[in-house]
Amino acid sequence: MSEPGTSIGFDALRDLRRRRKLHRLGNLDWFEAAYRVYLFGFFGGGAVLWISSSIKDTPVSDAVAADVLAHGPAVLGLLVAFAFMAGVRGGAQGGPVALEAADVVYVMLAPIDRRRALWKPAVQRLRSAVFSGAMAGGIIGQLAGRRLPGSTVAWFGSGALFGANLAAVWVGAALVAHTLRMPRWLATALGLAGVLWQAAAVGWGVVGPFNLDGSLALWGWRVRGYDLLAVAFTLTMVAVGMALLRRLSLDALARRSALVAQLRFAVTMQDLRTVILLRRQLNQERARHRPYFRLPAAGGSVGLTGSVWRRGWHGLLRFPVPRLVRMAAIAAGMGVLQGMVVRGTTPAFLGTAILGFVLGLEVMEPLSQEVDQADRADALPIERGDLMSRHLLAPAAALVPFAVVAAVAAWLTLGAHSDALVPALVLAVPTLLGAATGGVVSIVKDLPDPSSAPTQQTFMPPEMVGFTTAIRIVWPIVVSTLTTCTVLLPRAAYEAGDSVVGAAIRGAIGSLLVVLLVFQWVRLRDRLRRKISAFMDEGRAYTSQQRSSA
Amino acid sequence: MTAALSTHQLAKDYGDRPALEPLDLEVPEGQHVALVGHNGSGKTTLLRMAAGLLDPTGGEARIMGHVSGSLEARRSLSWLSDTPTFYDDLSLWEHLEYVGRLHGVAEWQGKADELLERLQLGVRRDDIPTTFSRGLRQKAAIAMGMVRPFDVLLVDEPFVGLDSNGKTTLLELLDEAAQVGATLLVATHELAFVGRVGRLLALRDGALVFDGPPSEADVHTLVLPS
Repeated sequence: MSEPGTSIGFDALRDLRRRRKLHRLGNLDWFEAAYRVYLFGFFGGGAVLWISSSIKDTPVSDAVAADVLAHGPAVLGLLVAFAFMAGVRGGAQGGPVALEAADVVYVMLAPIDRRRALWKPAVQRLRSAVFSGAMAGGIIGQLAGRRLPGSTVAWFGSGALFGANLAAVWVGAALVAHTLRMPRWLATALGLAGVLWQAAAVGWGVVGPFNLDGSLALWGWRVRGYDLLAVAFTLTMVAVGMALLRRLSLDALARRSALVAQLRFAVTMQDLRTVILLRRQLNQERARHRPYFRLPAAGGSVGLTGSVWRRGWHGLLRFPVPRLVRMAAIAAGMGVLQGMVVRGTTPAFLGTAILGFVLGLEVMEPLSQEVDQADRADALPIERGDLMSRHLLAPAAALVPFAVVAAVAAWLTLGAHSDALVPALVLAVPTLLGAATGGVVSIVKDLPDPSSAPTQQTFMPPEMVGFTTAIRIVWPIVVSTLTTCTVLLPRAAYEAGDSVVGAAIRGAIGSLLVVLLVFQWVRLRDRLRRKISAFMDEGRAYTSQQRSSA
Repeated sequence: MTAALSTHQLAKDYGDRPALEPLDLEVPEGQHVALVGHNGSGKTTLLRMAAGLLDPTGGEARIMGHVSGSLEARRSLSWLSDTPTFYDDLSLWEHLEYVGRLHGVAEWQGKADELLERLQLGVRRDDIPTTFSRGLRQKAAIAMGMVRPFDVLLVDEPFVGLDSNGKTTLLELLDEAAQVGATLLVATHELAFVGRVGRLLALRDGALVFDGPPSEADVHTLVLPS
C-alpha cells in the first residue's frame, strides 16, 4: 500500500474547498439573498430606530456619569465573564468549531495535518463571532454615546471593540477548553468562579478579572492604555486555542456536525423552537434517566385530564438540573427587567416578553413532544385540541416556583422596598404564565393544519411568504408582550398616587385573560379551522352551482 | 509482527451505562474478522473508537501500531460507516476524486471507474449521492472506502440496504482486499457472512463473549441479548 505525503492531501483539500465555493456561488439565488438582506435591514433597522427613539437624548447628570465611570467597567465586565463561562462550558461540550458530517469522515480521517485542515473552519468561527460582536457593540455604543460625554463615532468604535473582544473571549475560551479536553465540571466551576468574582466586583467593588475588558467599552469617553492588557489576554487565549487545533475531539466534531447543519437550517427557517431544541442537543442536555421522584400510582381510570397531567409531570420531573437552573435564571431575568420597567426603562418589557417566550419553549416540553409526534396524537380517538390544551396544565403548575423567583428578582431590583413586594407577587404568576403562552403559540403553530392542503404554502406568492414568515416569528412575541406590558399599570398607578396593589390586580386579571384566550385557542383551533374550511367549501360549491345554472 | 488492530483496556461508557467493557484485543495483519452481537452490544462503539471517531472512556486502540486517530493510523485505515455521509454539493465522481486525492492516490480515476462499474453505479457518477436511495448510498460509500489504499478496513453493517448483486460485489471486493494482505474487521448481522472469515468476535452487552474460529461458535446463540 502506498504512503502518501501530507502535502498532497492538503492540496486536494484546498482545491476542493475552492471548487465547492464556486459551486455554492453558482447555485446561490441572488434574488433570495437580496430579499433576506432587505428583510433583515428592514426589521433590524426598524428595531434600532425604535430603541433609539425610546432613549432620551438629554445628557445624563454629572452624578450618573460619575456612577457610569466608576461602576461601568465592572458591570460590563460581568457580560464578558458570562461570555467566558459560556465559552469554557461550550468548549467542554465540544464547541465552538463545527464541520460538515462528510468532512469528519473524509477529511479528518485522511492522512493530512488536522491543524491545517481545521484552521479555516476555526478562523471562520472566530471571524463571524467577532464581526457580530463588533456590530452589536457598535450599535449599543452609539446609543449610549447619545447620553454620555464623547463623540458618537468614538462610542461606536469603543462599543465595537468591546463587542469584538467579548466575542473573541467566548471563542477563545471555548477553543482552549476543548483542545485541553477540560472536563465539564471543571469548565462549569471555572466559568462560575469568573462570574462570581466579577459579580463581587460589581457588588463590593473588589478588582474583577474582567474589569479591563469592561473598561474597553468606555473608550468612547476616556482611553486607558492598560485596558489593552485585556485584549492581549484574549488574543493569547485565541492563539493557544488555534495552536492546539489538532487536539479537537473528532468525537465532538462528529456529534456536532449533524446538529449544527440542522441548527443552521432552523435558523434559516426562523424556527426558534427547533433552534432551542437543537441547542439543548448540542449541549448534550438529555432527560434524566430517573425522575426526581416518582408519581404515586394512579388508581383506576384518571380520565383524559388526569392522564395528560401525569404524562406532563413524568416529563417535567426528568428535566436535567442545568435546564432548571437556566429556567430559574430566565425567570430572574424577567423579574429584573420588569423591575427596570417600573423604574422607567419602558422598552424592557419587550425583553421580558422575549425571555417569557423562551421560558415557555423550555417548560412546555410535554406539549412540544406531542406536537412533534402529531401522527401519534391524530391516531387517538380524542379531539386533538382537547389533548393539546390539557398539555398546558402541568407545565403551568410547574411555572409557579419560577414565578416566585421572578417576583423576588423584581422586588430586589426595586430596592427591596416593602411596598413593592405585594404587587410583585400579585403580578408574578399571571405574567410568567402569560409570557410563556407566546411559546405555546409558537409550538402549536407547528401542528399540521387538518383543513388545508400541504401544497398551499408552495403556491403562495413570494410577498405573502415573506409576510407570513414575519408574522410567524413576531406573533408569539406579541402574545407574550400583551401580558408583560401589564406591569405599566402599577407604574402608572404609582406615578398617579393611586393604589399600586389594585393596579397590579387589574394587570394580573388582564394577563390571565390572555392565558385563558390562548388555552381556548389551543383547544378550539382545529375545530374552528375545520368550520371555516367547510364554510369556504360550501361557498365555493354554491358559487360553482350558480355559475353552471347561469 | 505488529498487530493491524490492537486494543488495550479499551472501554466506553455513556454516564452510568457501559457501552463497551474494557477490551484487550489483537488482530494480526491480514486477518479477516467478523464482529457480531445484538443491537446495542457495542459493535459500532468498538469500530468507531478503533477508527478514532469516538473518544474512549478508558484504554486505547492502535492501528498498525499507531494510536488510532493519529496521522499514521489514518493513513492505514479505511472506515465504512453504517450511515454513509456525503457532501450535498459534490457528484459521486467528485467525491471519489476528493477522497482519492486526499490520500495521495495519483491514478484514482482507473480505480474509481472500476469500482463504479462493479457496483453498477457508472450511470450515476455525475449525480449527487445525497439524493440516492439507501442501497445506492451504501454502494457509493463502499466505492469511497475502497478507492484509496488501506491496510486495515473497518466496516459497519455493510450489507444493509444492498441488493443481491451489491452483496455479491461487496463480498468479492472484501475477498480481493484480503488477498492483497489487508486486515478486515466487519460488524454484521448477516450470519451467512460469518462462514467466510477466519475469526469471529461476539459482543454481548458491551462484553466480549466469544473470540475464536466461527466453526467453534454457535452464532445464533451468540447474537442473542442476555
